[in-house]
Amino acid sequence: MSDTNEHPFPLPVPGRYTQPFWDACQRGVLEVPACLDCGRMFLPGGPVCPACWSSKLDLRPVSGNGEVFTFTVYRHSYHPALKTPYVVALIELTEGPRLISNIVGCAPEDVEIGMAVRVQFEREGDFTLPRFVPINHEHEELRNG
Amino acid sequence: MREAVIGGIGHTAFGRMPDRTALDLEAEAARRAIDDAGLKPGDIDGLLTAPGAAQGIIEGITPHFFALGQALGMNPDYTGSEILGGAASIGIVQRAVMAIEAGLCSTCLCVFGDSALSTPGSYSYGRGEEAAFGLFGAAGLHALAAQRHMHRWGTKAEHFAEVAIAARAHAARAPHAQRPKPLSMEQYLESGFIAEPIRRADCCLVSDGAAAVLVVSKDHAADLRHGPTRILGHGQAHSLTTFSSEEHFDTLPAARSGRATFQRAGITVDDIDLALFYDCFTIVVLLQLEDYGFCPKGEAGAFVEGGRIGPGGDLPVNTSGGLLAEGYGGGMLHIIEAVRQLRGEAGERQVADAEVALVSGHGLGMNTHTTMILGR
Repeated sequence: MSDTNEHPFPLPVPGRYTQPFWDACQRGVLEVPACLDCGRMFLPGGPVCPACWSSKLDLRPVSGNGEVFTFTVYRHSYHPALKTPYVVALIELTEGPRLISNIVGCAPEDVEIGMAVRVQFEREGDFTLPRFVPINHEHEELRNG
Repeated sequence: MREAVIGGIGHTAFGRMPDRTALDLEAEAARRAIDDAGLKPGDIDGLLTAPGAAQGIIEGITPHFFALGQALGMNPDYTGSEILGGAASIGIVQRAVMAIEAGLCSTCLCVFGDSALSTPGSYSYGRGEEAAFGLFGAAGLHALAAQRHMHRWGTKAEHFAEVAIAARAHAARAPHAQRPKPLSMEQYLESGFIAEPIRRADCCLVSDGAAAVLVVSKDHAADLRHGPTRILGHGQAHSLTTFSSEEHFDTLPAARSGRATFQRAGITVDDIDLALFYDCFTIVVLLQLEDYGFCPKGEAGAFVEGGRIGPGGDLPVNTSGGLLAEGYGGGMLHIIEAVRQLRGEAGERQVADAEVALVSGHGLGMNTHTTMILGR
């Protein structure tokens, strides 16, 4: 991923209900909305719990662990600031909610469905994006390092 | 209750037409549809539109149906535009059927049109906040489904290729097709990746063009130039929870829409002579073969082997080439092809004894779905 002045990175424009998620990322914490009535944790944020429609909601920190539900390797460049190839994945967090993110820290060829991953916060302009790295790969790096 | 039937069809050429506006193309398609029905502009009392992605549903404060109705000098009894993406063409024909059955109008014009090929970037937009992770365009989203299918069921590139090859083979028999050139397995496999496992050859065309269908009360059927085409059943189902839905990327809402529509029509999948599946990407055809029950879940790859959905196959699919090869008609060309086949007007590509056709629409990523079963 790279950024140039002519082609600013396609940063999110958070809405009222997604702003708290991005604010938490900025602090280096992955937090998801949780329903105080039925306990459902969900993404993306919204005005009510999508399971029971309660408006008693709070943010809960999650482990940052999950697995790759599915993924794709972009080979075609849709945006000058996005350097191909890159991996877009749907991550299923251990706590249940799913989110779209990137897999970094390994070759695109090594990404697999079901692979265990962990969040890794990366700076992009004024934003902190929650990307994911393979858990085993990270351990290998620690051993080698 | 009054019965609504399809009484007229019409479309423009499909391809690159930079000197034409979407509105101009839509007006041509509308004129052709009423000519086909043997009617005059003054006979039309309903107008429904499914504007393509490049023009959008509203321009400034003017909704699309307003702009087209004004251009066509209409003061209809019933009107509106539908926002269901690729499911919208069937969506507006369904609305026309319901409006006629309810007595709100009797002769309803349904129009899809766009100038997407002459409007750069029509489909390559970032998808919400997920664009920060590079989720752009429609191919990447469908690649997430294709990857799951390969992983869970062992589906291979050659299976996706069968869908693309069949579409081109059908299109070679459709004189108006935008891409009638045959595609070989070798050419398919050499086609570059857009978002793995989706290759360029898995992606549908982008087009300038318009298509229109006229839905009329059966009371007027005797006045029609061609015989009426019957609507045996129709339905919808949607999955709006997207990424958090359990089944999303493995099953389309087509499964629910199909079950309900077959039930309403009082027929089964075995009664279908040909299928016109919305085919923005080859994976969507495979998923629909399973979700509509033509084969068990996970077996669509094996089902399409050996040209089974191509010309002369057991189940002809998208006999005019579909979005992959005929042109991007927003699903309206699929309805028109079904009508031509059921009328017996499909020329070289005519499916022998075609009596019942299944038509589908799929849109807004993978979230909306519409189904129609048409009969002679």
